[in-house]
Amino acid sequence: MKFLNLALIGAVAVLTGCAASGPKFSVAEASTPKLNSDQGRVYFYRNSSMLGAGLQPSVVFDGVSVGKSQQGGYFYVDTAAGSHEAVTSTETDNKVSFVLDKGEVKYVRTSVSMGVLVGHVVPTLVGSDEATKELAELSYTGVTTK
Amino acid sequence: MKMSASLYRFLWSGGLALSLCACAAVQHTSTHFEPVAATADATQRVLAQGLEIQLDTGYRRSLKPGSHWIDAGHVPQGEVYKPYKDVLTLEGAQIHEAYLVVDGGVLVGFYLPAERGFSPLGQRPAISLQ
Repeated sequence: MKFLNLALIGAVAVLTGCAASGPKFSVAEASTPKLNSDQGRVYFYRNSSMLGAGLQPSVVFDGVSVGKSQQGGYFYVDTAAGSHEAVTSTETDNKVSFVLDKGEVKYVRTSVSMGVLVGHVVPTLVGSDEATKELAELSYTGVTTK
Repeated sequence: MKMSASLYRFLWSGGLALSLCACAAVQHTSTHFEPVAATADATQRVLAQGLEIQLDTGYRRSLKPGSHWIDAGHVPQGEVYKPYKDVLTLEGAQIHEAYLVVDGGVLVGFYLPAERGFSPLGQRPAISLQ
C-alpha cells in the first residue's frame, strides 16, 4: 500500500513535470509582437490532457524544428505566405499541410492518439473560434520566427 | 495470467487494426486553380442543409447547416469554395487542408491548396450553397 502511494506520487510528479509552465495565453498575448503585413502566423498548441503526457515530440515546420508538442503549451511561428507543412514524429510521421495567406492566422493542435507500440502525436488544423477558446488556458513555451 | 495475455493480444490487435485503417492516403492529382480576381469582392454562400460526407479513406466529415463558404475560384473539375473563418481537412495517412469543389450542385471532390491537387469523392452528394 505504501509502495502504491509512493508510485502514485512519483507518477504525478513526473507528469506534472511534463506540463508547460510559461505565462498563460491571456497574459503572453498582450506582449506578442504584431504580425508583419507580408507574413502569416501559425499557432501550435496542445491541450492539458494527461493522456500521453510523456510523449513530447518536436514540431517540425517546413523541415525546421520550431518547438515541442508539450501538454498544456503553445507557441507561434511567423512565416511567409504560401504552402506549409508541420510534422510530428513518434513511431510514425504525422503531417498536416495547409496554405497561409498574408496577414492570416492559422492554428495547429497536436493531440495524442493510439498507436501500435506507443501513442501518436497528431497535428491537425483547427478553426479560429475553437482554437482561441482552447488557447486561453494554455501556457506559452517559446518564440520562433522563421 | 491467461486473461492478461488475452487482453494484451486484444488491445494490440485493436491498435494494429486502428493504425492500418488510418494508413490509407488521400488520393489526389495535380490541377490548375484559377482564383477569383483579387479585386473582386469575395462572394459568400451559405450551406442550406447539413451534409455528411464519407471520405474514400474511411473517415467522415460533417458540414454544418448555415456554415459560410467563400467562392475562392475554380478548377477544371468545378467551382471551389473555402470555409469562412473555419477550416476543413481531409484525413488519411496525413491531414490536408481542403476546399469544396462543386459542379452542377454536386460535391465532386476537394481542392487541396497546399498540394495544388484535386481529390475526387467516390460518393458524390448533392450540395446546396445559396
